[in-house]
Amino acid sequence: MFAVLVTGLAIGALYAATALAYNVMYSTSKVLSVTTGHLAMLGGVFGAWFVTSLGWHPLFALPAVLVAGAFAGWLTDVIAIRRVLKRSDEHLWLLSTLALATILQQAVGLWWGTEPKPFPRLLPQDFSAGMADQKYWLPIITTLLMAAALELFYRRTLYGKLFIAMSEDTFAARARGIETDRIRAASFAIAGALGALAGFAAGQLTFAFFALGLTLTLNGFIALAVGGLGSNIGALVGGAALGLLNAFSANLIGGEYQNTVSVGALILILLLKPEGLFGARNVRPV
Amino acid sequence: MALLALLATLPWWAGDLYQLHLAALIAAYWILVAGLNLVVGFTGQLSIGHVGLLAVGAYAFAILAGRYEWSPWIALAASGGIGGVCGLLLGLPSLRLPGFYFAMATMAFALIIAELSLALGNLTGGGVGLSVPSFPVPFDTPAGFYLLLLGIAILITWLTWNVARFPWGQALIAIRDNPVAAESVGVPVFRLKLAVFVLSGITAGLAGALFASLQSYITPDTFVFELGLFFFVCIIIGGRGSILGPLLGTAILTALPELVAPLAKLGNLFYGLLLLAVVLLVPEGIGRLFEIWFARLRPKQPASHILQPDTARLAAAIRNGHQP
Repeated sequence: MFAVLVTGLAIGALYAATALAYNVMYSTSKVLSVTTGHLAMLGGVFGAWFVTSLGWHPLFALPAVLVAGAFAGWLTDVIAIRRVLKRSDEHLWLLSTLALATILQQAVGLWWGTEPKPFPRLLPQDFSAGMADQKYWLPIITTLLMAAALELFYRRTLYGKLFIAMSEDTFAARARGIETDRIRAASFAIAGALGALAGFAAGQLTFAFFALGLTLTLNGFIALAVGGLGSNIGALVGGAALGLLNAFSANLIGGEYQNTVSVGALILILLLKPEGLFGARNVRPV
Repeated sequence: MALLALLATLPWWAGDLYQLHLAALIAAYWILVAGLNLVVGFTGQLSIGHVGLLAVGAYAFAILAGRYEWSPWIALAASGGIGGVCGLLLGLPSLRLPGFYFAMATMAFALIIAELSLALGNLTGGGVGLSVPSFPVPFDTPAGFYLLLLGIAILITWLTWNVARFPWGQALIAIRDNPVAAESVGVPVFRLKLAVFVLSGITAGLAGALFASLQSYITPDTFVFELGLFFFVCIIIGGRGSILGPLLGTAILTALPELVAPLAKLGNLFYGLLLLAVVLLVPEGIGRLFEIWFARLRPKQPASHILQPDTARLAAAIRNGHQP
């Protein structure tokens, strides 16, 4: 039972990290990007490539992965968001990020191969530790650190406050002289780095697999919707709850019903509490 | 009309069986896309998971006609019905959700169906798959089955064209463009969305049954998520709010990778690039581009008429008040 608990928390941490990346992008642009899960996938794939194929030390691979993720996030903004947000059509960004996500996934599939490849050890530790193995605690610690850093960033730095200002009212922020386009690009780069970091830290759990992105996009979104859109605490709680639910349902009724169970939980929560556990109630636009 | 005649005689002039198979595949896809077009193109609900409904129809047909040996016609109707019921079950909770949530819900549905088709091995054959019976004489040959598919496709096209033409279609477009305004002028938004979604479920079920019979063997790998994305791309590329556009989109996108070998290697990457290009450059779709070109080609209306005032009549009117 303890093993199930730890596995659930570890995979839940990855979901929570994805939900955090969603939140960072959502705060400045009100866009839920389909590429969010793919950012984590890139972290895993690039991490494995740097360390295993190129033979870099994990300490050098980490900043390279962060840069690659930030670049991918920034690219998302430049290609799929910037031009689309200028038009008034509401759901165009859904299409453009979906297209970009498909391109990313298929490009990685063509380059990296469609089989999951093993992810290297990041820290020197032998395989006898059992449930204290790094592949379980690494994603959990990373995600907690990420959430704490984001909280500090939002509360203590000027840039963080600009993010909050933009999430409250973009037009008012722009009228006050904030360069909203640049802040949005920065938020996408940060989200990319966070996503890639999560994928890197959880790589030993998920393997370097090109199709991971879509699963994470869905499960990160479920964690976010359960916890409440825009809330970082909600993202953590939602991710942990979803991971535990997945692990326990896999243990009790079998792993082949994983998506069915998590989506069932999502629909139940959305019916009972549409704004999520920690979300702000949405006012309908008229 | 000429096009219809051309399509109907295709079996007699098509180069080989493979081209005929391709044409039949386009027809089967189109039966689904025509229904989905009402959901995506007209009502603006971005469903990316219709491949789940296709799989439901295909498995329903394979199980009913194959294992329980029902008449294929009854099994076909039942597949449509089951597709409709699944559409209702999926639509009831998810159509209440806003855009991105809805897209995610349909995507989750596709993943769930893929999961169940693997997990429920004693029903669906699991990863091994099921063989699917073909239709009785005279539809058991490739040519006959193609004509059957063509007939059903034309019927469905006519059906959706009717829906789009009458006030129904206008109401759907109103929901797409501004749901709040549509509701305020008395359009029953949720009920219409649900009705259209169930209709698309029925066509997806029918398409699934015919598709399965065309492929003659189905496994869970037949219904990958990317196939749902493909249907979606066909509509967006063809243009929203049009029927001809998505039809062309389906035909071209199905045939292109088969005819141009390098594109087949790129596969879904090609669809992604195409979708991105269309969304960024012509969000109205390629179909709209054709319309603009046609409008340019057409001879222009005379730009202006010079109006000569009828001064005598004017003077008389001023003098006598308003009598003509």
